[in-house]
Amino acid sequence: MSVKTATPDQTLDTLGRVCPYPLLLTKKALEKLASGQTIKVLCDAPASAEDSIPRYAEKQGYGFEAVKLDDKGYWELYIKKS
Amino acid sequence: MVSTLAFAVTGILIGAAFGFVLQRGRFCVNSAFREVLFQDYTMFRAYLLAVVVTMIGANLLEDMHWLGHFEQGIFVTGTLYRQAFVPWSNIIGGYIFGMGIVLAGGCGSGILYRVGEGNLAYVFAVFGFFFGIAMTKFGFLRPIYDWMIAPERIVWKGEDTIPTLYNITGINKWILIAVISAVLLTFIFKGKPFVKAKKGYSWSLAGLLAGLVAVAAFWASEYYGGKARGLSFTGPVREFFLAVLFGNYQNDPGAVNPLESRSILGMIFSWSSLYVVAVPIGAFISGKLLKEVKMKVPPADELFKVLLGGFIMGVGAQMGGGCNIGHSLTGVSTLAVSSWVANIFIILGNWTMVYFLLIRPMRDLDV
Repeated sequence: MSVKTATPDQTLDTLGRVCPYPLLLTKKALEKLASGQTIKVLCDAPASAEDSIPRYAEKQGYGFEAVKLDDKGYWELYIKKS
Repeated sequence: MVSTLAFAVTGILIGAAFGFVLQRGRFCVNSAFREVLFQDYTMFRAYLLAVVVTMIGANLLEDMHWLGHFEQGIFVTGTLYRQAFVPWSNIIGGYIFGMGIVLAGGCGSGILYRVGEGNLAYVFAVFGFFFGIAMTKFGFLRPIYDWMIAPERIVWKGEDTIPTLYNITGINKWILIAVISAVLLTFIFKGKPFVKAKKGYSWSLAGLLAGLVAVAAFWASEYYGGKARGLSFTGPVREFFLAVLFGNYQNDPGAVNPLESRSILGMIFSWSSLYVVAVPIGAFISGKLLKEVKMKVPPADELFKVLLGGFIMGVGAQMGGGCNIGHSLTGVSTLAVSSWVANIFIILGNWTMVYFLLIRPMRDLDV
């Protein structure tokens, strides 16, 4: 099942934020979401996008999918709360 | 003596290699320490692996007498640079530094390599870092600093020996290294080090490579730079800025050591101060290849916080005698008591700040 969706329940923009705010803001947003809802996170901090946020999602057992937008230099992270 | 060209090129190569590995491996000592509080030990294992590699490699270099430099055609062997144990400075400085890295969003090496990823915030962090260092060593905070490091507050082993874990316990150095490595490796191997990462380096490869660069830096800093300082960032950042701002890496011209410095473009640099500038370059190259470099800037309040964090880091690092690389990786590997104590307080400072900045606000969630 794909986590990526064109209609996420929420979009969170963390562009430009320094470590660890992308992870922190994502955690906060996920806490407010209901199970089954999906959040799309825009993130341009490589360590957060490819390390800390996916690791957090995996630990929580949430669905996770990352799309790297090479031309824009940032990631779209889709996380589905379980 | 090595030529100025070899002096400069090797410094830049070591710095670039370290920056490349840090960017590629997403290596961050700040998050390594922080995530322990959230029961995630992945990055902490990478850090510990780097410590094991550096500890074995550096001490091997020393005891096999491979560490050395040429002076008038004669090979002079060297020893690893170990820091004197100054409890006040190591404890208070380490603790302040540990708090600073949370605010700055990156550690001593983290703020430097992330400049290469294009986030303006880290340029602020590096400037703040230098301000903190300079103000502590030369300016406003100097009285406190001088009090902390006064000769009567330095603790020696016996008459004048720098305390290390092996000389204070009387245990053979290599037995101690074997025991520490065995304990750390047991913990490291619980983290499934052979699982390949989807992209970039796996945490284990990142830790391994960071350790290897740190070992190479020990050798090169002695061979080319005249003193086996190994990788560190506090002194070198200060020396780099002093050289480019005032033309001399030493504030006091009388302190210039011809063996450890070269005049380049009319400025006198130490070997270590050259790799500082190459860390962001190495990270930039890695980031460019991964298509991750992008000019970006956080909101103004965060920029201010990062500047303040960098400043606090600088004050702590200068007081404590080093940052998370100088103490937590390089210094810990030399088994100097000073670095082990400072490292413990860097971790405690980190956890304190994480609690007030990240855990408490999360708990009182109302956003």
